[in-house]
Amino acid sequence: MNNSKNQRDSDIQKKIDHEIRMRDGACKLLAACSQKDQALEAAKSLQTCSTRIMAYMSELQRMKEAQVMQKVTRRSSDAGPMDDRLPCKGKVAISDLRIPLMWKDTEYFKNKGELHRCAVFCLLQLGGEIFDTDMVIVDRTLTDICFDNTIVFSEASPGFELRVELYSCCSEDDYSAGSTPRKLASKLSSSLGRSAGKKLRAAMEPGPCSPVSNGGASPLLLPVPSVPGPKYHLLAHTTLSLSHIQDSFRTHDLTISGNEECSYWLPLYGSMCCRLAAQPHCMTQQMMSGCLKVKQLGGDTQSWAEVYAVLKGTSLFCYHRQEDVEANIEPAFTIAINKETRIRASEKDPQSKVQNICVSNQYGGEEVTHTLTTDSREDTHRWMEAFWQHFYDMSQWKQCCDDLMKIELPSPRKPAPVTPKQGSLYHEMVIESSDDLSSTVSDILARRMQELELRSQLGTSPTWMSVFDESNPKSAGRPRPCTSRLSGHSPCTPPRLPRSPLSPHRCPQLGLLSSDASLTSDSDSHCSTSPCSQRHGWPEPSSNFSLLSSSPSRLRPRTLSLDAKLSTLRGRGYGGGGTFQCPCQPPPSSLLAPLPISSRSPLSQRSTQTTLSCSSSTSSNSSSNSEGSHSPESSEGAPFSRPSPARRSLRNLRARLDPRNWLQSQV
Amino acid sequence: MSTYTPGQPVTAVVQRIEIHKLRQGDNLILGFSIGGGIDQDPGQNPFSGDKTDKGIYVTRITPGGPAHEAGLRMGDKIMQVNGWDMTMVTHDQARKTLTKKNEDTVRLLVTRKSLEDAVKNSMGSYPRQ
Repeated sequence: MNNSKNQRDSDIQKKIDHEIRMRDGACKLLAACSQKDQALEAAKSLQTCSTRIMAYMSELQRMKEAQVMQKVTRRSSDAGPMDDRLPCKGKVAISDLRIPLMWKDTEYFKNKGELHRCAVFCLLQLGGEIFDTDMVIVDRTLTDICFDNTIVFSEASPGFELRVELYSCCSEDDYSAGSTPRKLASKLSSSLGRSAGKKLRAAMEPGPCSPVSNGGASPLLLPVPSVPGPKYHLLAHTTLSLSHIQDSFRTHDLTISGNEECSYWLPLYGSMCCRLAAQPHCMTQQMMSGCLKVKQLGGDTQSWAEVYAVLKGTSLFCYHRQEDVEANIEPAFTIAINKETRIRASEKDPQSKVQNICVSNQYGGEEVTHTLTTDSREDTHRWMEAFWQHFYDMSQWKQCCDDLMKIELPSPRKPAPVTPKQGSLYHEMVIESSDDLSSTVSDILARRMQELELRSQLGTSPTWMSVFDESNPKSAGRPRPCTSRLSGHSPCTPPRLPRSPLSPHRCPQLGLLSSDASLTSDSDSHCSTSPCSQRHGWPEPSSNFSLLSSSPSRLRPRTLSLDAKLSTLRGRGYGGGGTFQCPCQPPPSSLLAPLPISSRSPLSQRSTQTTLSCSSSTSSNSSSNSEGSHSPESSEGAPFSRPSPARRSLRNLRARLDPRNWLQSQV
Repeated sequence: MSTYTPGQPVTAVVQRIEIHKLRQGDNLILGFSIGGGIDQDPGQNPFSGDKTDKGIYVTRITPGGPAHEAGLRMGDKIMQVNGWDMTMVTHDQARKTLTKKNEDTVRLLVTRKSLEDAVKNSMGSYPRQ
């Protein structure tokens, strides 16, 4: 007993030492670095290390106190070991943190002064684990603070408390804190404008609004070194617990500290949106396994089947042999063990010496009972104990045990490409009103479209199927009512606890979409002779697309100009035309590709199949990409002459912006 | 789907659909197309019941694609993507929210007429307790 405690002590001590070293490193870095970004990052590390040290210190103190208490109680009374059942631990993951902001309109129109910019990050603490998110620079061009990180805490008990703290630090260039001497600072502040001076003064001194974030430590703990440089202040915090866990996004309230006068202030809307999921170990690990005998239902009462049973999640999986578990073979049968299951030990069988275990479930109104037995009394006892523990775990973890929630571990991938500086909403609006066909305009347009990173598809006159697939969706969970505010800030908060949907497996065979980085998604991987060569009737109206096999070597499918498509498809007419009226009176070419499914080979990286997606459009529009290659004309002849690339691109853009069109984008 | 009154919350029966994006070279694709948006003409939407509905609708699904496997169907109206609202966004905003490069999975909330009807019918057959 003492050994384990000493072990834990030394573990924590090692962690504390590690963090102290990290903190010293961060201090040195902070003192040495000159660039603003580096300073902010270093200050963030400093904050995280300080918090961790405090947490470890307090845990150490708690352990020491517990030791002392135990010694005291042992002396005073000889209370037997408490037979409390402990619930199993689990993984808790928080992801997709989003904190909406509420800028005043005056902020947008402020011309004077620098852009008020803050660096923010979140500190998440559960038990003894503390993690920080990446740092985000926030200014009035952002409507929400988004943290992309997924944070997973591995050993959480059901009564956990996840504390989320938002730290922010003013990051305006002119007001670097600390370095200017006091007298000069006051002189400056009085000579600057009132608001600028106020900010400067606030940045200089801690002031009443900043809680002493790292100081204020009890004298037992180490004093925190004070370093010059940016300091983070606590802006908002909240605590999440088991009741907040759900397999979808929820909004939580934030408690905001600080006020408008503080330099690190940001106008928070007051809530935080995130996805909090949990995987208790009883759902992911084998809680109990061993050999069992299951009475065959119906028929001979004495016939027992020998199985190797594994208790995991909400089921007892019974395999024929133990090796099947490793080999991932399907179990022979599965008995549900969930909140509605009832398990009891039956009367002793006269023939055998051990009691039977009866497992009863309700399957749609009918009660089905499975009878299990083991070889020895100890085994029976162990199984009963395992079942009780499992029920206890499920009662403690509540909604987390209904279905397995998915936790995505962030895959180690290259850092995301640096996105260009986010312009404001106004900058993103494109206003192209010129009808000028001069080369400069078309050049600009062509360049513009190349910058756009997507595959949008022009779909105008949709020959929509009036009958579309009404088949029932895959059993992806029960639908539930949802209210969503249109402010765009808060997602649904359903009144009942929903069930999480069945996990869609990645489709093993995928005939797939071309959708390459070209502007349009009209892509046909092959030369245009293939569509013509295969003339087939139309498939049933509800399927829009079929797959076309292509040459395997092509990674980037070539685009077919609309003209070529029109001419190939014109000969076929189209079936099941939409009842839809397009104002532009298109030629009766169709949206659908009448090509058969040639083959559905398993997915390979070099996709051997692509979708032919063509869109019809008015005769004034062209849907082909100016930079795509031009596939040869179809054998049916090309009644149209192909316009020049510049004109086509201009037409493209005009088509996109023409309000008569109903834009569609492929994702 | 009920008509939208500005300023009032929107209620809908929704289904959660989780789509794992498929990687094709440098791109992550979902396998469907969207139409609609507050900057588009809602009268041209063939899938909406209410022709003033400017929401984002699924206009086409690639058979066998990630969206199809996940249960998305043509004609579905997308209410939310990963917590972001889709009922009051421009077309481009919707597209961008769906195609974020750093996200491998999108969790959608979608609604469709058949869902509403199913709920209405099931509520109708059981007496209120």
